[in-house]
Amino acid sequence: MSVVFGRATTDKSTCPCHPSSIIQRPRLPPRRGRIQYRTLMSDDRSRNVPVPLVALAAWLLPGAGYWLLGQRARALVVGISIVVLYVLGLLIGGVRLIEVPGYGDHGLPLVVAPADRNGDHLVEADPTSPETNGPWVMTSRPMEEIRNKPWYIAQVLAGPINLIASWGSVAASKVNASGMPAGYRSHARTNELGVLYTAIAGMLNLLAIIDSASRAGRPHDESLEAQPEAAA
Amino acid sequence: MHLLAWRPFLDPIPIWADSVWPWLLLPLAAAVSLVYKSVKCRTMRQVPREAAVIAFWIIFGMIAAAVVLAGVVKALEW
Repeated sequence: MSVVFGRATTDKSTCPCHPSSIIQRPRLPPRRGRIQYRTLMSDDRSRNVPVPLVALAAWLLPGAGYWLLGQRARALVVGISIVVLYVLGLLIGGVRLIEVPGYGDHGLPLVVAPADRNGDHLVEADPTSPETNGPWVMTSRPMEEIRNKPWYIAQVLAGPINLIASWGSVAASKVNASGMPAGYRSHARTNELGVLYTAIAGMLNLLAIIDSASRAGRPHDESLEAQPEAAA
Repeated sequence: MHLLAWRPFLDPIPIWADSVWPWLLLPLAAAVSLVYKSVKCRTMRQVPREAAVIAFWIIFGMIAAAVVLAGVVKALEW
């Protein structure tokens, strides 16, 4: 007798909980050697590329990791989305929304000023003032400075585009001949949205870096394609 | 600042009205959905539909959260 699980029935002789079913167990499909799960991310690796190279390429140019693996449609969608998101963030908040560690509001290097009665503190290096001749904060207290500008950690994950924007931010912060910086610093919601866009672009690129590197390092598992019903 | 005087990348975009900036949620939700589903989906043919669905739910969730929070604020003010 065969018993079908999962079907509602009023016939007690075919019910799995009926005593007769306990004696005559249904025939189960043969057990496989090991349990196979379908992975969250697809594993259609088509080329053998070293994992570090894929990760580096994915950081240098968003989506390039997938491109090296031969997944060009995925590369284009991911890369264009991330770059467009980052550029939109810069358009919304202006390039000065990038707070570059080691540089102050006027685009000058931050140095640790000599200690006074309030202790040592950070000032922007002024070539004309001997009181600002201290060590650069990124060489003396890099972790503290990065902790003060935590969004930069997410933004730098977007790749060299963020380094170019950082250079632009420092350049736009410097006071020109008219006594004003070239670029205006955004405030309130425009600043929040711009920072959000650029930081999310960086975090999405981190996701793409991890995924493309994971695909590059995963052996091609043909058993999943051969037995699609096993994972269904 | 007038829109014609706006210098891209040097000036923040001149959108100060409260009715404008919430629309900036749409490209953010679309990009997040596209990248997330591109990473997760097995084939790229699934991505447009899956991304549209998750983008809808992101926007719906944000609107719902805004309504709830606005209600809480109104209740506290009252």
